[in-house]
Amino acid sequence: MNATATAVRVEGLAKSFGPVLALDGASLSVGTGEIYGLLGPNGAGKTTLIRSLVGLVTADRGSVEVLGRRLPDRAVLAEIGYMPQSPALYADLTVEENVRFFAAIHGLEGGRARPQIAEALQLVDLFARRRSVVATLSGGMRQRVSLACSLVHRPRLLLLDEPTVGVDPQLRAELWQRFAEMSGQGVTIVVSSHVMDEAERCRRLGLLRFGRLLAEGTADELRGLAGVTRLEDAFLALSERGR
Amino acid sequence: MSLLRTAAIARRILQGFRHDRRTLVLLFVAPVVILGLFYFLIRGGSGVPAVDVVNLDQGELGTVLASHLQASTQIAVSMTGLDQARSDLASDRVAAYILLPPNLTASASGGGLAEPEVHLEGTQPGLTQPVLAALDQSEASLLGSIGAQSGARLPTIRPRLTYLHGGAGLDTLDYFGGAFVGLVVFFLVFVVTIIAFLRERSQGTLERLMASPLRRSEIVAGYMAGFTVVAAIQAVEVALFTLYALHVHNQGSVVLVVLMTLLLALVAVNLGIFLSMFATTEFQAVQFIPLAIVPQVLLSGIVFPVSTEPGWLQAVSELLPLTYGVDGLRDVMLKGNGLTSGALLLDIGVVAAFAVALVVAATATLRRGVS
Repeated sequence: MNATATAVRVEGLAKSFGPVLALDGASLSVGTGEIYGLLGPNGAGKTTLIRSLVGLVTADRGSVEVLGRRLPDRAVLAEIGYMPQSPALYADLTVEENVRFFAAIHGLEGGRARPQIAEALQLVDLFARRRSVVATLSGGMRQRVSLACSLVHRPRLLLLDEPTVGVDPQLRAELWQRFAEMSGQGVTIVVSSHVMDEAERCRRLGLLRFGRLLAEGTADELRGLAGVTRLEDAFLALSERGR
Repeated sequence: MSLLRTAAIARRILQGFRHDRRTLVLLFVAPVVILGLFYFLIRGGSGVPAVDVVNLDQGELGTVLASHLQASTQIAVSMTGLDQARSDLASDRVAAYILLPPNLTASASGGGLAEPEVHLEGTQPGLTQPVLAALDQSEASLLGSIGAQSGARLPTIRPRLTYLHGGAGLDTLDYFGGAFVGLVVFFLVFVVTIIAFLRERSQGTLERLMASPLRRSEIVAGYMAGFTVVAAIQAVEVALFTLYALHVHNQGSVVLVVLMTLLLALVAVNLGIFLSMFATTEFQAVQFIPLAIVPQVLLSGIVFPVSTEPGWLQAVSELLPLTYGVDGLRDVMLKGNGLTSGALLLDIGVVAAFAVALVVAATATLRRGVS
């Protein structure tokens, strides 16, 4: 497999925080344009794995290669969009000012910036609220601003840590529609989630437990592997086996 | 009112302290440090102002007055020649020199007027007052001993005061004004930066910055640039208000006052970023104020002159940026020094060096944003 076909390659990644082992030799690879879903219970290591893909975690062991570049590599970060679990925004700035700031630090300035900022705001359905100060927005709206901030610079790899928490079902469906379109345009998306109907929309799923990848495959493959008909049951059954 | 519910709140607060050991330590350590400093500053010093006494008196009165001055516990007297005394005063080695003129005994005889000359350095009230007090006491005990010896008519002793800088026309605000301009800006800029940077960390945006192509040095430089704009406006405003609305005495250039204040603000920005790395909550950051700011204020010579501190405390004072900032502002405002003055250039250089060193330190500690 060459570098253009593989967007993310993680090998034997281990990381402990004091006595807590967050990742214990996790390995996975994600193809270009794929939507890869990371499933797993709380504390399974999903967030640590996603953070390690943007160099926020220095691993104890193992290697991370992103868009053909071995991390740490600052330059490749310009092509990644990262949305953390809690909406990390400047509460005293407006929606548009936040999005423009994150565009600028990813190198998006000047004439190109304006239409892309507008597009990102429309995508999360906040164009009309662009002049609102973030502190005045509800939790779900902040989540959407955060998403706009992570994709305004049109990254080739989008890392989303539970992106639709607090977002209503209708907008969630629209967002996943857009994720699918972006994937069609060659954008690779790694997304962690608890929501099973979201998992169904991923091309491939990885089941993370105790810092290791227990199972990997399409939703159908995972159901087949567990011998059940519902993805949620597969998730529970496979998690039990990992013990 | 339910005792149970009230007790639940009290218990919750104590549990919070138990989990936040650092707050607990600061809560008990800070007062000891601050009160201990007061002790050493007020009581612990060998620290009394140095004074040269030049006795040119041909009679015996000068010798007697000089020996009373030497016996004073409020000043440390050396007997010198006039040239030595003048150069000591010009170079800040003494707070004053007292000249007992050749005709002192002669003019005092028969209830006449004796006029010792007191040449004060004049920029630090904390040094001027002990000199005048020591002279008063020496005069009183001198007159007492003369009166006890004989029924002779007592002379009148009236010292003639001259100030190398400043003078009798200056009041307390004139002396402290310069130091306060620096202190106010330093303090406010520090507090605003440490809170702003801590919020960057606690709201998670610092993590986002770390996940972007930004360099750490770009983050620190950006912070510095942003706060410098605000600090510059504040420095100009505070300096102009002090000089033109409060009419605080300024002997030197307004531009230099603003420049010195701005340099202090730069140090404060970077000190704020640097120290925010050691706090995890805004609560803890606020506690850096008594620990980082109060000792600096006490040791910077604003109230207690550095030269009267015990030796080891002087060494600490010389490691603090505010000491040089305050000294520089006094150089300009009270002495009228300009950029040709070596002392002022040293102050400016040291404060600038602190700013640079703290930029480097702040950049280095930013790594802690990544786990």
